[in-house]
Amino acid sequence: MTGNDYMLEVNNLRKQFGEVEAVKNVSFSVKKGEIFGLLGPNGAGKTTTIRAALDIIKPTSGEISVLGGPMTEAKKSRIGYLPEERGLYEDMTLIDTLIYLGQLKGLDRNTVRKRAEKYLKEVELWEVRERKIQALSRGMNQKAQFVAGTMHEPELIIIDEPFSGLDPVNTRIIKNLLFRMRDQGAAIIMSTHQMVQVEEMCSRILLINRGEGVLYGYLSEIRDRFASNAVEVDLTGELDQMVGVDQITSRNGGYRLVLADGVRPETILQRLVTNPDIVVKRFEQNEVSLDEIFVKVVSGDQKPDEQETAV
Amino acid sequence: MNKIWIIAKNTYKQRIRSSTFLLITFGLPLVMVVAGAIPIITELRGELPDIGYVDETGQMVELDAVEVEGETLSLAAYRTRETAESDLKSGEIAGALIFPEDYFKGGTPLYLAAEEPNEKLKDGLSKMVRKGMFADSPSWQVDRWEEKANFTYLAVETGKSISEGPAVFLRVGIPIFLAFVFVLAIFTGANQMGSVVVMEKEERAMEMVITSISPRELISGKVFGMTLLSSTQVSIWILAASSAVFLFFRDDLIGKSIAMPWEAMIWAVLLCVPGYFLFALIGAGLGIIAGDMEQARQLSGMLGFIGMGPMYLMGVVVNAVDGPLAVGLTLFPFTAPTLSLFRMALTDVPTWQLAASFLILILCLLGSIWFVARIFRVTMLLYGQKLTLKQILQALSASGGMELKAVKEQNV
Repeated sequence: MTGNDYMLEVNNLRKQFGEVEAVKNVSFSVKKGEIFGLLGPNGAGKTTTIRAALDIIKPTSGEISVLGGPMTEAKKSRIGYLPEERGLYEDMTLIDTLIYLGQLKGLDRNTVRKRAEKYLKEVELWEVRERKIQALSRGMNQKAQFVAGTMHEPELIIIDEPFSGLDPVNTRIIKNLLFRMRDQGAAIIMSTHQMVQVEEMCSRILLINRGEGVLYGYLSEIRDRFASNAVEVDLTGELDQMVGVDQITSRNGGYRLVLADGVRPETILQRLVTNPDIVVKRFEQNEVSLDEIFVKVVSGDQKPDEQETAV
Repeated sequence: MNKIWIIAKNTYKQRIRSSTFLLITFGLPLVMVVAGAIPIITELRGELPDIGYVDETGQMVELDAVEVEGETLSLAAYRTRETAESDLKSGEIAGALIFPEDYFKGGTPLYLAAEEPNEKLKDGLSKMVRKGMFADSPSWQVDRWEEKANFTYLAVETGKSISEGPAVFLRVGIPIFLAFVFVLAIFTGANQMGSVVVMEKEERAMEMVITSISPRELISGKVFGMTLLSSTQVSIWILAASSAVFLFFRDDLIGKSIAMPWEAMIWAVLLCVPGYFLFALIGAGLGIIAGDMEQARQLSGMLGFIGMGPMYLMGVVVNAVDGPLAVGLTLFPFTAPTLSLFRMALTDVPTWQLAASFLILILCLLGSIWFVARIFRVTMLLYGQKLTLKQILQALSASGGMELKAVKEQNV
């Protein structure tokens, strides 16, 4: 991958507020055409990292390259941002709001009208375009803000909790729009606490905890790294102990088997199926969910230096 | 500049539709016109009651009526003061005019009545004096006395003539009117900047907007938008006032050249425009410092009080129009526009004072741009928090965009 394919590169970012160090040497990069998950518990430093990347606040030290270089006023039109603290002008109509914000992103009046129509139809808000923002429901407001932040079709999109307040149908609409933008080459940074969405949408993630980057890399690699050497089985018969298994625990009518070091799941499966007292109904390698990884890392089960994963 | 214009246009569009703007813009002149017209209408519609008079000089020609503006003032002659007073008490007549014996030696006529005579009756009484007392004079003299005496004043030093009537009214009235308009514009426009900024923060659109434009562009757009709004308002007021003046003086104005106070008007523009921007920027700064709308209004009220300052000090200034207080307030940037205009209406303000005032205003304006941009850049993401003096100083002294700790505490 060439340097030009990186839409955002952050190197050793530090941000200090008085005596509080909000971000400590965080580094990551986001490529063209990917959805990148920026994760972390509340107060971890995600918003500060995003604000520093967007030049809303100045970093104490570190380097940030946006769209191939330092942030400039001209580049602002190529970036879409949906912040966590968000709102629209309550007293303005939806269409006027979009025209205003679209023009601020450098679109001319005609283009912004066409784009507003296109996106409002896609998110099913075209019918309420003349309604004042204050008269929109929470879900409508959320979709309107999404359109306001992305209708100029930016190359770099940063969205904070894009699905909060949305029902499953509307979540799917926004998700599909994000997939389409990604496929068209946009780099998307998504900050969310909804791990299910991250697992479905993101190829790579950065997990920040207490201002430090503690997990960074491809989601599949991180999962592999955290995957426990265990299997889950449903069977008829009794299972008290077994060669090659360190621990057997009963779970939801089945068993969870923690394998001994160096023992492969296939070996255990073979031993189970060849045991005449046992009939195997289900055999599944025990995958760790992102949610579990998140809790594990954030609650301090593993130290950051044990979790570094190369990209 | 394009983005500043977009923000200015949007601010203007949003505000001009508001009922507050429409009420103030059209309601205020209407209230003033109505308030000013009521006494005039009352005077014009005043009836002419029957009047009695007593001529103790013995020189007056007996009159039973005089014509006043197409109406008849009925007069009854009495031989003695007592009989006139008796009829006055019984309600036969509404007033009695007594010409004392020493009238031609400087004595003052005495008018006895329960109420003060209205303007129409006063005209009638004057007419009665001229007709009754100077009946022997040629008619052209009597006619001449009935006309108002018009003087032409000529300034010895400049040789410029100043005619009485509309020219004097305009020379004095225009600067005072412009001073009032400036104060009103401060109240209805610049003073609202705090609310405009707080609203932007309260609606939580700030963070999204500042990834499209710089904080300086945002504040500049808002200030220009409010300036456009005030300009619209001021234009309507000036148009209304000009129309009123024209209608009032139409006979004196049509076909005549009137010396307009151009110098005062040019200084008005030079001082009021930066003065307005100064108030607007400080208003924006107060909005940034204020945590919410209520606090913004309180702080704006203080700013408005400063803007009104010269009005409260008018009495002192009029007594010593070139005194040290007047000069000091002419140079002080927040009172400079209003006070300079007041003084220009009353005296010849030295040009150096006006020029110095203009320069100080510009310097303060540049300083306030720095102050507001700085404080806004640092604190724009603080929602619902009033800044303390310590935080303001911290924001101003911070180097390279150091943000307040409060921002961090509020949202990491």
